[in-house]
Amino acid sequence: MTGPRQLDGSRRLEDFLAFSAEATAFTVFELRGTGQSQAYLNTCDGIVGTEVTDCLLDRYDAARSAVVASESTLPELLRRDILSDPQLGPVARNIAKMWFVGVWYELPRAWTEAFGAREGNATFVVSTQSYTEGLLWPAIGANPPGAKAPGFGSWAHPPRIPVFP
Amino acid sequence: MIFPRDATRRTDHKAASETFYDVVVVGSGISGAIIAEQLSQAGKRVLVLEAAADEDRSLKGYEGFLSRFYAAASKDNQSPYPHNPNAPMPRSTDARRIWPGQPDSSAYLVQNGPFSSDTTYTRVLGGTTMHWEAKTPRMLPQDFHLRTMFGLGQDWPLTYDDLSPYYVQAERELGVSADVEHQSYLGATFDPGYVFPMHELPLSYLDKVVAKGVDGTFVELDGEQFELSVRAFPQARNGVPNAAYDNGKGYVPVGAVNTHQVEEGERCQGNNNCVPLCPVQAKYHAGKTLAKALQDGRVDLLTRTVASKVLVDPATGRVDGIEVKVYQDPESPQHTTMIMRGQIFVLAANAIENPRLMLASGLSGSSGLMGRNLMDHAYLLSWALLPEMAGTFRGTNCTGGIVDLRAGSFRRQQAAFAVDIHNDGWGWATGAPYSDLVDLVDQQNLFGAELRRALPDRISRQLLLALMIDVLPNESNRVTVDPAYTDQLGNMRPVISYTVPEYTMRGVAYARQFARQVFQRLGAADHTAYDPTDGAYLTYEGEGYVIRGGNHLAGTHMMGTNSRNSVVDAQQRSWDHPNLYLVGGGSMPTIGTSNVTLTMAALCYRSAERIIAQLQDELSARLQTPAPTELPMPTVVAAS
Amino acid sequence: MTTSHHLNGDSMPAITTLDELYAYLDSAMQLEHATIPPYLTALYSIRPGTNSDAYHVLRVTVVEEMLHLTLVANLLNAVGGTPDLTVAGFVPDYPAYLPDGERDFQVSCARFSRESLGTFLEIERPRQAPDEQSRLIDRGPARRGRLGSAPGNNQLQYYSIGEFYQEISRGLHYLHDLLGDALFCGDPTRQVGSEYFYSGGGAIVPVSDLRSAEAAIDLICEQGEGFGGGIFDSEGELAHYYRFQQLVLGRYYQERDSRDHPSGPHIEVDWDAAYPIKQNAHLADYPADSEVAAAAIAFNTSYAGFLDLLTRAYGGRPELLLDAVTEMFRLRDQMTRLIHNPIPGLDGVNAAPTFEVSVHLAGVAS
Ligand SMILES: Cc1cc2nc3c(=O)[nH]c(=O)nc-3n(C[C@H](O)[C@H](O)[C@H](O)COP(=O)(O)OP(=O)(O)OC[C@H]3O[C@@H](n4cnc5c(N)ncnc54)[C@H](O)[C@@H]3O)c2cc1C
Ligand code: SF4
Repeated sequence: MTGPRQLDGSRRLEDFLAFSAEATAFTVFELRGTGQSQAYLNTCDGIVGTEVTDCLLDRYDAARSAVVASESTLPELLRRDILSDPQLGPVARNIAKMWFVGVWYELPRAWTEAFGAREGNATFVVSTQSYTEGLLWPAIGANPPGAKAPGFGSWAHPPRIPVFP
Repeated sequence: MIFPRDATRRTDHKAASETFYDVVVVGSGISGAIIAEQLSQAGKRVLVLEAAADEDRSLKGYEGFLSRFYAAASKDNQSPYPHNPNAPMPRSTDARRIWPGQPDSSAYLVQNGPFSSDTTYTRVLGGTTMHWEAKTPRMLPQDFHLRTMFGLGQDWPLTYDDLSPYYVQAERELGVSADVEHQSYLGATFDPGYVFPMHELPLSYLDKVVAKGVDGTFVELDGEQFELSVRAFPQARNGVPNAAYDNGKGYVPVGAVNTHQVEEGERCQGNNNCVPLCPVQAKYHAGKTLAKALQDGRVDLLTRTVASKVLVDPATGRVDGIEVKVYQDPESPQHTTMIMRGQIFVLAANAIENPRLMLASGLSGSSGLMGRNLMDHAYLLSWALLPEMAGTFRGTNCTGGIVDLRAGSFRRQQAAFAVDIHNDGWGWATGAPYSDLVDLVDQQNLFGAELRRALPDRISRQLLLALMIDVLPNESNRVTVDPAYTDQLGNMRPVISYTVPEYTMRGVAYARQFARQVFQRLGAADHTAYDPTDGAYLTYEGEGYVIRGGNHLAGTHMMGTNSRNSVVDAQQRSWDHPNLYLVGGGSMPTIGTSNVTLTMAALCYRSAERIIAQLQDELSARLQTPAPTELPMPTVVAAS
Repeated sequence: MTTSHHLNGDSMPAITTLDELYAYLDSAMQLEHATIPPYLTALYSIRPGTNSDAYHVLRVTVVEEMLHLTLVANLLNAVGGTPDLTVAGFVPDYPAYLPDGERDFQVSCARFSRESLGTFLEIERPRQAPDEQSRLIDRGPARRGRLGSAPGNNQLQYYSIGEFYQEISRGLHYLHDLLGDALFCGDPTRQVGSEYFYSGGGAIVPVSDLRSAEAAIDLICEQGEGFGGGIFDSEGELAHYYRFQQLVLGRYYQERDSRDHPSGPHIEVDWDAAYPIKQNAHLADYPADSEVAAAAIAFNTSYAGFLDLLTRAYGGRPELLLDAVTEMFRLRDQMTRLIHNPIPGLDGVNAAPTFEVSVHLAGVAS
């Protein structure tokens, strides 16, 4: 399935970011702020193939439209249509993890057995920047070890962990 | 700090092999760097031989280490450093379970067991301090007399007071941040008016959370009461300089080392990455001392130069050369063999590589103790989840701990220990926070906002206590060599035989109880679980523990009072070879509960004085009895 | 250049009262601060992982500008003044205008590029007025963002930053002749010493008398321009001008090099590896309720807080400088997030912090 997404790279990236915002609860602005958007989309495409990514983005799009008329919340729809999907679930979870620590985690064996082995599907750090731009660190009020130092003595103060309602 | 550019190319191997140096030093780690720097200051010509492949210590090269670390999927403590088959090094991830009678030779260290240690050291320019954590406590006065006091271990041929002025020198060189008032405990004393170069580093918020529960608690051991408190560790990293240092002259912290002027870092910024690499060089590493040593041109430095044999004149027992294997390409076994000569030789290759080199040269020594008495602190990890957000994963790897049980009469029965409060959470034990993320996403099925709430809840409350437990010398814990195991250049690899002594295990069992008690005090949920399939899993009195390597290697060329009970004398000079010094942790008869490096630095300052005096003595002796044949001739270069 | 150069000039110094001295030093603080936003913007526009050399050069320069700011604060405190970085108009509305001899030039908050580096070179270029008359230049009608002008007369700008400091130095001498050591009547506990400020380049000088005041001024001037026309300052630090020049010439200077001929290691600069940000961005450039606008406003609030913190640090609590450094690291993260985000509706142009700081916090906080 080669959808119209293929024709419009920036639209595709926007959808990827919108889905990622849902997955990580960081805003699109914050996600873009990492400078890693394109690199992560490329990584995902490169490993599972654009068709699978597109399928995930289509499902997300559909859920987003459906939620208006639905009794379910968007997270509920995403659980039903993506996270519990044998093919898309592991990919979605990998996208979330990638934003948090910049690592593509090897897809589970069950996945490759069902949908075919993929070249390059190993656990790896996407790039040196993806490590330092991991969002896990701001999520816990810390810095990635070895980068973005918070400054002398900052550790003596109580942490500033963003509260999440 | 400027590292003279092309310092590693200032001399070439051929020229060096044709030069007769005052002193030839093997190893550019902190021990070798201090010796070289001190001798250079005294006007001596020094050659430093370094096995690693680095070029100059430049910021670019340093950043190369950093990028390698960023990009490494496994962020273990060797991850920044490239693999070099010609100067291989152990990696903590190498350790495997060992089955009786089957040594594990799959990695550089051949582990003969029964205990499989994950201890490491680094063979890069500047040695293991490139990746050390830089805790710098002094040893306690009691640690020097364990045999006399308790009939255990070995006495030092030195006392705390003998070493004290050299501790002062070492604290200056390493730039130690600490407050005397918090370091004067359990008998440790300082000269009146002494202050450390810099004020102590602030305790982390996590430390303070622990302190709330621990400070003022008493424990009883062997009838003695100990009051506990959370105290800042002395650390070799840049903090706030103490204006009162050096009688009010103050202290100027040493920044990054580079081949041209680009200042960076200086003060510790809390990168939480001291191990394996401080990105801003706020942490001391031996490159700083090495850069100083190279300033005035009297020190030659050769890298890609692996010492392979110590050559001894059988008639006099004196060392008359060091055979080296010089390679170009770390991947290729191609090399040239040469001999380097000098008046005095110093082995500063660390407590595993020093005896390895001696034994590979057939020099097991008249005491038979070469390579024996290998010691390394046993680390027991205990981890829990605090009831409140403590902001874990901030600050230097460790700022504070509990050190009140480092000495006491209980040591007659069980090992003393010091406790680190780890600012990097459960990382060492469980691979946190990565393992937490994977669990929350893949197993707990959390997503979006729920995941965001769960992350700090799981990670920012983590408390890990690393209990560092004393290990006493034991002759059967040892480094040997075996021609069956060699590296790419054909050098014999170290073979390690090691058992965690019962005395230490008693300390381990108590330390575990102690950690439980701390957790109970804090209302923290104990999550400690030792995996029986771990290569370092041990049982003692029915309970299982995993013991981690301390990277504080010592004892393998122990100092003592005579050639039967030791390998070197109190100046680290070999009893058998009067112009050979074996320096570093290997000389230490015991390690107590002090991270070893400050003490070895102090010992090296002491040895440097002795070496300078010996050079002087030998020079005047030679002037008095002219014996032209004694003057060495340049040697013909042998190529292989 | 040495600061005693014009001391024996016949004309009356421009500074003859303490109030005039305060006004000049206030204006010096403003001047020292004004280069920080442009340097920071260029620094953080560099794409992460690229241009490591340029990154370090810029980073160190920012740290040294902070040092200069602190030195001026020490001067002002020493003579009993009160540093205040929160007064309205302290942060210029970019572009700002700095003197460069016969002409003045624009300093913008812009991405890292050959052009912005050219501006930085101009900022730091050593310049000495040819004669007494040309030390003050009439630049025409008053204009926003003109720096290094005579306090009270925006139309007259000094020939160069060096000349501006000359004037301060002259005033100090004049007042010292008049008042003696009573000139340095400030509270010594307000001085920032090396416990609270040390960087790789240059040590902080606490000011307590004429000598230390001269030393502080010398350090400011030399770090920018070099010592006595050399490329290094008296502490052996490479002057800013030559630091930047290294990037243009593609080589590092090393000891014993002569001007314009660095012979150290090569530097590779990737001029394209910077985010295409809006030059001298203003809030008005961002769609009103975009995330970019919100983040830019949040940044400005943080920046105002930072200036307030510095004001308190210089107001007798030097230990707060440690927090100020932490705050700068936080500002860095806020800046990079902005710089990595495109401005909605403007194709291919990214956002940048606007440094529109109007909030006056000091009164509230202290
Ligand atoms: C993770 C970690 C954390 C640590 N934390 C601390 C701490 O907090 N506090 C503390 O006190 N200690 C700590 N240590 C221990 C400390 O790093 C070492 O004690 C210290 O660096 C040893 O210094 P050295 O100069 O004797 O040996 P090394 O630093 O190991 O230097 C030996 C040098 O010799 C070279 N070499 C080896 N063999 C040869 C050969 N055949 N020919 C030529 N050159 C050779 C090596 O390449 C190396 O450069 C830590 C160690 C590790 C691994
Ligand atoms: S906390 Fe950071 S800056 Fe400080 S010493 Fe460790 S790695 Fe370096």
